[in-house]
Amino acid sequence: MQLRDYILRRLMVLPVLIIGVSIVVFTLTRIGGSPVGIYLSHEMTPDEVAEIEARFNLDKPVWVQYIYWIRGIAMGDFGWSGVAAAPVADVFPLKLAATMELAFASGLVALFLGIALGTYAGARRNRLPDHLTRIVAVSGASLPQFWFGILLLIIFWAHIGIAPIGRSDAAIFASIAHPTGLYTIDAILAGSPTALWDAIWHLVLPSITLGYGATAIVARMMRSALVEELQQDYVDAARAKGLAERIVLKRHARRNALVPTVTVIGLTFGFLLQGTITVEIIYRWPGLGRWMADSVLRGDQATLMTYVLFTSVLFLVVNLIVDLVYANLDRRVTLGK
Amino acid sequence: MLDAQHGAAPVASVRDLKVYFQTKRGIVHAVDGVSFDIRDGETLGLVGETGCGKSVTGRSFLRLLPVPPGIQAGGSVMFNGHAVCAACAGVGCGACGSTGRQAGRDSSVDLLGISSEDMRRIRGDRIAMIFQDPGKALNPTLPIGAQIAEVFFQHRTEELIALAGLPADTAGAIRRFASQSPRFGDGWLLALPGARAQRRQVEAALAKMVASALAETQVPNPVKLMARYPHELSGGMRQRVMIAQALACNPDLLIADEPTTALDVTVEARILELIRDLQQRRKTSVLYISHDLSLVRRISDRVAVMYAGRIVEIGATAEIFANPRHPYTRGLMAAAPSADTPRGKLAAIRGTVPELVDPPSACRFLGRCPHEAGACRSNDPALQVVAPGHSVACFIDHPAPSGERPTYDRVTA
Ligand SMILES: Nc1ncnc2c1ncn2[C@@H]1O[C@H](COP(=O)(O)OP(=O)(O)OP(=O)(O)O)[C@@H](O)[C@H]1O
Ligand code: SF4
Ligand SMILES: [Mg+2]
Repeated sequence: MQLRDYILRRLMVLPVLIIGVSIVVFTLTRIGGSPVGIYLSHEMTPDEVAEIEARFNLDKPVWVQYIYWIRGIAMGDFGWSGVAAAPVADVFPLKLAATMELAFASGLVALFLGIALGTYAGARRNRLPDHLTRIVAVSGASLPQFWFGILLLIIFWAHIGIAPIGRSDAAIFASIAHPTGLYTIDAILAGSPTALWDAIWHLVLPSITLGYGATAIVARMMRSALVEELQQDYVDAARAKGLAERIVLKRHARRNALVPTVTVIGLTFGFLLQGTITVEIIYRWPGLGRWMADSVLRGDQATLMTYVLFTSVLFLVVNLIVDLVYANLDRRVTLGK
Repeated sequence: MLDAQHGAAPVASVRDLKVYFQTKRGIVHAVDGVSFDIRDGETLGLVGETGCGKSVTGRSFLRLLPVPPGIQAGGSVMFNGHAVCAACAGVGCGACGSTGRQAGRDSSVDLLGISSEDMRRIRGDRIAMIFQDPGKALNPTLPIGAQIAEVFFQHRTEELIALAGLPADTAGAIRRFASQSPRFGDGWLLALPGARAQRRQVEAALAKMVASALAETQVPNPVKLMARYPHELSGGMRQRVMIAQALACNPDLLIADEPTTALDVTVEARILELIRDLQQRRKTSVLYISHDLSLVRRISDRVAVMYAGRIVEIGATAEIFANPRHPYTRGLMAAAPSADTPRGKLAAIRGTVPELVDPPSACRFLGRCPHEAGACRSNDPALQVVAPGHSVACFIDHPAPSGERPTYDRVTA
């Protein structure tokens, strides 16, 4: 199947999947209780409660409520966030930018460090570097994130005092404009090294905490895939051609080892997103994860539904990208089968 | 000497080669004192049952064994490559029959002793190898053309630069491109207008060289083939690609490790014919490894029969088939040409190849041999000349130091 046809077909299926997801999200949230809870207080009379319910159409049948919800989304209205005390649609982009910046930083760490470590270890199987990498990887995959994060926080923030907390220094934040909401990018656009350094410095601990586990997963996958590839005949055939070991490793074995690793990287994305909740709470990072944790605790349904819907769509898109990269790396993959 | 009667110096001489493997069961003597010559321009067939050490022997030429667990336990593999033709400097001319090589000799080197860099220069250029399963020996993620191109990058940088019409002292990123040794940043350098044009020239020259290497193996439409991926080709086509790649630099010696075992019979015949034809035109020497005696008979000038890490019989093909001496060779022949024996299975010889861990000082065929006698149990027979150019390791043909000698009459089945 042609690549373009395949992308088109996948894109056409996307809306159907999204509608399916939205129904599931809506139903599950409603099972959790009426969304009106967050607006109630003990002094309200039943009449007042009924009035609020009527104002938000909560007196209508559930399927009508669903239609209202979807209609709102189509018009850019995602509801009111009780936690943020603002429309969800207004707050969401800001929080999303914060989370994306964190997730991308961690993802890049995981991708490059994971592949580099995995290659390094796989090419030196059962020698000292391999064992050391294994220790790093196993600890990364098994340390609970909240524990590791708090540990780093205690050491570098509380004791040594070199690491900052939060997302930026208030004064520096105020010194430049923030058109994208990604503070590193904003700083580059504003041409301010101080702001850039501040943004990166605030990112370090959170992205190490978040990226460590993913790095471990990628590194282990890369290592075992590489070990497997290095035993294949084509590696010996490449050596028999007179290629230097460096080229055999990089151009032949590693390229093939990336094929299974890419799938894992796709899965790792979910791992990262899930991790943002813990990490954002620990480092007081003002992103989606923390907002969501607050919303869950306070029954802020409009925010929750938006979040779950959004992450589901994100997953669908990431999966599509992973499939495409995969097919590009491995020509034997027939798309659409 | 075993077969020194022949005139010209052999292209390779294996002497007392010992390759062991460290395993959980102990040290496996996979190849245990093997000696033979590969004469200039000949095809030497190496036959034996599975696990007898054929591949280990073949791979030793290119040091393609994993160490560890492999142990280079001793011996030497002397290689005498042809000298580059003085008239054309390796390009190929009338004087050298367009092989680019002349009859004279380079100095001889011990392939087991040279540095890895020297080994790397020999691999793919002077000694090439084709593998059993062409489906596995080609990289699935690279197009055919790019894989063959690597041989030229490694060994034909000068020719590539000349063919591209660039001066011989071309340096920098372009030379690194033409020798596949890029540095960080070369991608950008090569994208600069001047360099890009030169790179295109090198690429065009490369495509020409790859296409002509492919054309040698009679594939239809070589230029189109270069853009295809291995999985898009049939097994026979893949093996042709492997052969094109192996012979691209006109090697002096080709190691062919069961190159047709993974192919079906009709394709096998055509591939054999192709190897034979290319070998004769280019005067390449071939070590042809197979477990199929009748196949080896078709293609080889001489045959070496291997058993349990040793060569038990070696000689001219006609002589071996007319007058097989070793009981194992005889067993193989009795088993070989039969329609109802699956290929590779040797039904007529009872038992299986013994464990090669700490072999005792006795004949290794003991226990499977129908003629064994007292001498075979206490002595280890060495290869000895029984007729001109024909050597056998069995006490039937030469006296044992002690014990009762076996004869062909005795059959203790
Ligand atoms: N990588 C390895 N590790 C351990 N032992 C090995 C290894 N490679 C080969 N051997 C041992 O060497 C012996 C000879 O192997 P080899 O591959 O040379 O056999 P062969 O004659 O080529 O057989 P086949 O017809 O199956 O290809 C085997 O019995 C095996 O035990
Ligand atoms: S030496 Fe003895 S056991 Fe060995 S092959 Fe000859 S006859 Fe058989
Ligand atoms: Mg073999």
